[in-house]
Amino acid sequence: MNSDDQLILEFQQGAREAFVELFERYREPIYGFFRRRLEHPARAEELAQECFLALLQNVQRYEPRASFRSYLYGIATHLVAAERRKAGREVVENEKLDDRAAGGDAAGNHDAGIWLRKALGHLEPSEREILMLREYEQLSYGEIAAVLRMPVNTVRSRLFRARAALKNQLLPVK
Amino acid sequence: MERHAQHAFEAEEVMAYLDGELEARRAAELAAHLVSCSECQEVVQGFRALSERMLSFEVERPSAAMNAEVLAALDSSTSANQARTSRALDHGAWNGRPMLARPRNWAIACVVAVVVTLALAIPHTRRAETLPASGRNLRNLVAVEPGLAKSQASDLEAQKVTPEDDVQSALAGAPPPPGEELKAPENVGPMIVQTASLNILATNYDQASAAIDKLAAAHGGYVEKLDAKAQTGNARELAASLRIPTKQLDGFLADVRKLGRVEEETRSNEEVSDQYVDLQARLKSARATEQRLIELLGTRTGKLQDVLEAERELARVRGEIESMQGQSTILVHRVNYATVQVDLSEEYRQVLGSGPVSTASKLRNALVEGFRNLQDGAVGLLVFLFAVGPSLLFWLAILLVPGWFAWRRFRARAQA
Repeated sequence: MNSDDQLILEFQQGAREAFVELFERYREPIYGFFRRRLEHPARAEELAQECFLALLQNVQRYEPRASFRSYLYGIATHLVAAERRKAGREVVENEKLDDRAAGGDAAGNHDAGIWLRKALGHLEPSEREILMLREYEQLSYGEIAAVLRMPVNTVRSRLFRARAALKNQLLPVK
Repeated sequence: MERHAQHAFEAEEVMAYLDGELEARRAAELAAHLVSCSECQEVVQGFRALSERMLSFEVERPSAAMNAEVLAALDSSTSANQARTSRALDHGAWNGRPMLARPRNWAIACVVAVVVTLALAIPHTRRAETLPASGRNLRNLVAVEPGLAKSQASDLEAQKVTPEDDVQSALAGAPPPPGEELKAPENVGPMIVQTASLNILATNYDQASAAIDKLAAAHGGYVEKLDAKAQTGNARELAASLRIPTKQLDGFLADVRKLGRVEEETRSNEEVSDQYVDLQARLKSARATEQRLIELLGTRTGKLQDVLEAERELARVRGEIESMQGQSTILVHRVNYATVQVDLSEEYRQVLGSGPVSTASKLRNALVEGFRNLQDGAVGLLVFLFAVGPSLLFWLAILLVPGWFAWRRFRARAQA
């Protein structure tokens, strides 16, 4: 099996199948990325689409500097940031996460899920982002550092703080 | 996740280990350590449980419509979305609109400018406040101290000259002689900072004021600060702040009392043993960290970035060690040298002024006073304008420009 980085280079050379393979691999993770960060499923899907279209249209400018994953999630992170800017101030972000938790989603409609989303909503935004990239997108520290443009050590210490804070938040339920 | 600072592995390292992000050698050490350490096993359990809890944030699968659209775009490969998506790609890059056209960017730029200005200004003012008084003198004087701390009354005689010389060099601002590290009187019981204060009414002021310097030097101490006032029509006053070796304090005070009538005398003792012990413990742990980092740097063959990171950390720890050493030195100095405040004043004799003033000269004085007030007022106003004007303009610019942008935007929106 080819690695992501090989696939994107092959696609750059014109291999259509390489992109289809990448799309298959990242379709769900990228949708999940937007779904966990945005309120509406439909909007999440649109942005996931936009993310792949961006990849598609700019493939000629792709340079294998960091891993393909950090490149892809870099685009996704940027799209989410633009979306949030458009939607208004980031201050309401926590409330949104809470609301979503209170309303309940199709899949995660049990107590643990609700508590968890509430707790996540109370984390400091940059720490929450690092934690989510690590736990849900399974990025390495180096990849997170590349996506968020910060030193690896900062990623590590903030991730640690985020986990400690989340643990404290969840403690009463334990 | 709270743990002992002294533990071989920080909880953060355990976390990095679980994430597969710990350097191979350190990871092997930690794996071996985990077998026997229940505390670390608990930390591991905590992290694992948390990761499992986080899985409860599930999301549904995307609809099939997404596939169709992306694959269609793949086939046509050209799209109307071009402009929009390429902007998304250039994340962080300088794009179309000029940066300063956005009020928010303006506000950010202004805040950055203010912070930078403050950051540049504050250390200057602080340095100006602290340097002249004690900082420089202390550093110089500390160097002589180990000898004095150990010295008995017998070899004090031989050293009499040294403190005096040092006062000279301290006052002249000469660079400090290479000082050895201070040894604290560790086994001599509690560490006590002594201070004494004396108000003396001198019968012979000239003699007394001259004697204070000499007495301090004779007892192995030095003058930290001396402030003499001699205003016409008032009694002369002298306020001296002296540092006297603790062992010599009683003898020195007895000598000073002979200079005149003691009007007030106070003494106070402050115990600082716990401060000192605490400081030493922190110093020890910081040194251990430094040692570990040095070993790490010597043996590792990691990435350049990691090595740089370790060196940065080492520099930070060294900075801390130096600061703590400085604090410890000052503390020991305060214990070894008592602070004595002597206020010497002359016996006051009221001098009668010349006879009554004539009306003409009273009028003339009033006129001169009036002109002087006018002049002072005008100069004061100018000074105020020069001092406050530029910053007033600066702040007005900062507050008005984003406000103007916001107003324009608001109006545009209202019209739309």
